[in-house]
Amino acid sequence: MTAGTRMAVLAGVLALTMTSASAQTLSVALQDDPDTLDPAVGGTYSGRIVFDALCDKLVDINANLEIVPQLATEWSWNDANTELTLTLREGVTFHDGTPFDAEAVAANIERMQTLEDSRRRSELSPIVDVEVVDAQTVIFKLEQPFAPLLSVLTDRAGMMVSPTAAAEGGEFGAAPVCSGPYQFVERSARDFIRLEKFDGYWNADEIGYEGIEYQIIPDSTVRLSRLQAGDLDVAERIAPTDLETVRSNAQLELHTAPGLAVSHLFINVGEAGGILADSPELREAVELALDRNVINQVAFNGEFIPTNQMIPPSSAFHSASHPIPERDVEAARALIEASGVASPTIEITYENSLTDGRVAQIIQSLLQEAGFTVNLLPLETSSAIERYLAGNFELYIGNWSGRADPDPTLYTFFGTGGSQNLNGYSSPELDEVLISARSELDLDARKALYEEAAGIYLNDRPTIPLYHPTWFYGAQANVEGIEIYPDGLLRVTGLRPVE
Amino acid sequence: MSDATATPLAAPRGGNRPSALRRALGHPSTMIGLCIVVFFSLVAIFAPWLAPYDPNVSDWLSIRQAPSALHWFGTDDLGRDVLSRVIFGARASLAAGLIAVTIAIALGLPLGLIAGYFGGVLDMVISRFTDALLAVPFLVLAIALAAFLGPSLENAMIAIGVSAMPIFIRLTRGQVLSIKNEDYVTAVRALGVRDRSIIASHILPNILAPVVVQATITMAVAVLAEASLAFLGLGQRPPAPSWGSMLDIARQFLTEAPWMAVWPGLAIIAIVLGFNLLGDGLNDTLNPHGEGD
Repeated sequence: MTAGTRMAVLAGVLALTMTSASAQTLSVALQDDPDTLDPAVGGTYSGRIVFDALCDKLVDINANLEIVPQLATEWSWNDANTELTLTLREGVTFHDGTPFDAEAVAANIERMQTLEDSRRRSELSPIVDVEVVDAQTVIFKLEQPFAPLLSVLTDRAGMMVSPTAAAEGGEFGAAPVCSGPYQFVERSARDFIRLEKFDGYWNADEIGYEGIEYQIIPDSTVRLSRLQAGDLDVAERIAPTDLETVRSNAQLELHTAPGLAVSHLFINVGEAGGILADSPELREAVELALDRNVINQVAFNGEFIPTNQMIPPSSAFHSASHPIPERDVEAARALIEASGVASPTIEITYENSLTDGRVAQIIQSLLQEAGFTVNLLPLETSSAIERYLAGNFELYIGNWSGRADPDPTLYTFFGTGGSQNLNGYSSPELDEVLISARSELDLDARKALYEEAAGIYLNDRPTIPLYHPTWFYGAQANVEGIEIYPDGLLRVTGLRPVE
Repeated sequence: MSDATATPLAAPRGGNRPSALRRALGHPSTMIGLCIVVFFSLVAIFAPWLAPYDPNVSDWLSIRQAPSALHWFGTDDLGRDVLSRVIFGARASLAAGLIAVTIAIALGLPLGLIAGYFGGVLDMVISRFTDALLAVPFLVLAIALAAFLGPSLENAMIAIGVSAMPIFIRLTRGQVLSIKNEDYVTAVRALGVRDRSIIASHILPNILAPVVVQATITMAVAVLAEASLAFLGLGQRPPAPSWGSMLDIARQFLTEAPWMAVWPGLAIIAIVLGFNLLGDGLNDTLNPHGEGD
């Protein structure tokens, strides 16, 4: 045996041992460290990925954003659309052995509505009473119809935690107990989260891995190279510029889904706003000077979806009658002249990430061609968010993760008093449309209302939507069953190693 | 009267100055270092004439193109000419080095002189303050200050300058301590010369050599620190180029567009090497202990 063959054999043996070891545990790279693992409090996208393995929800969505059963097998509205009756799955237990039943649902809703630092309170505020009919039946009572309720229950507000564990006090998020396919083992902040298979899971046949290790790897280049090296099974948010590398590698597979998220140029139209605040002409000039295709091509290799709306084309509520306006630099110049502002200067604040930095510089370059002077203010994440929440910005590159239902996006941003309405925008006309859309359960009638809403906000321009990111997961080809939905979560049910 | 008497007593310095300078220039590493530094200084000064393109203007049709006859160093992720950005980036780097070191000396030298010359409580306070600053690693202190001041090239310079200050306090104080009891100092003090003019005319000129050497070496550190801060997004504001921020963006494209990283990386290596060679050479020739050989 020559030295070369010996090395090759050794490498082969090493590779074999490594695959058989990792076949048991799925290692997943996350870009950010999730915040607390308590579904009542959690507020991060990466946290939602972990919750998918840890905590089952009452209902889920499918690839077409339709509501499908999870812990609730059936549901129905009463005639007035004010009572939602849920039939619960039988034989479900939490990780600590507590049975899952109607009492547990009632306790969870109460917990999320009353817990001091609950972030689910406003999402669940339409529920005024929970009636336990029998062990498998529960009724949510509302004061008035609220169409987005089921959609709300497909996310953290619908995640059921063990009432026994929650009642014990202490910090629940440090050792969460739910009823999902995997249970919590340990966590090291900014490093990893380890879960192991829960043998009592109701759908255990569909669970193919003994455990999951989520590793926190903020740099997308590092995630990719570790995926290429084979020490990761799945990596989320592959950079659009790296997709070719994944596509051309036979060992790897790329899984994508058009996202619900939207990145937009949020304009302060309130008192803290600059020259754009009082000038609809200048806001229109900004939009006309932009070229969303250039942003998409240059910053994202053309892999994202350019947009002029907050609701993505994958949603039934996207307005088809409002196409993206063509770039028109001459018209933009004319509007600047009409506005009477001699040399308009604007400032864009953004989180100092590579993506937003690139987008900001492209916007700067495009707007300068139309006669704007654009200053850029990149800030470190926490100070950027602080300014954002305080409404202390002229323009801000906002990144909104989106929701399956249009209401939590449109009302929070454009409704007077909405939680993301930080730019001082208020339109009584739009408020009325959005509120009536909440109580409309008929799909076509709701679509018509959101069509009307799109007409209003696209004309007022409290923000200029830019693009919808597409979700890109890179994975080893031997991980079978990965399917990414528009919410961008890695669903662990149905995943298994291929031998 | 006192000045006339003082001059001959302070004689050791004046006589060998020209030969020290000549010897410094004759030292090979000083020469190489000086050439590199002068080269980059000229590049920075004449950037607008040397750069083939505007460093901030994008060509949307040539994104991340490899080096070619049109773009010698290739183009970056926004279709900007990398050569032009490296040329203009020299301005940020050299300005940061120069101004940061000036700040460090302007703050550090007087404090060191006071601490060393007067001693006592003043020395106690200044020295403990210096110890406290030196306890924090240089770059960590600079990052903390820059993050506190907010991202801009000016703030990065201030942050680097303040972080580099303690080494100058300590160096100056040590030098002053070693000469303040020399005969010529004692003599002028005995003649009743005021402290201020003793420091200015007799102490300062005799301690400058090590400070100059330290300043040159600190320049290298400051240039590297500016690149590090820019890499972390705490330096030059976009779109103006800086070698550090160019590297920060380039690291995303290491496999598909390595030229984006190579050129600013080489530039940083070259300028830091230049300052270090210059510093080493000056140290060999200006160091008082080396004077006899």
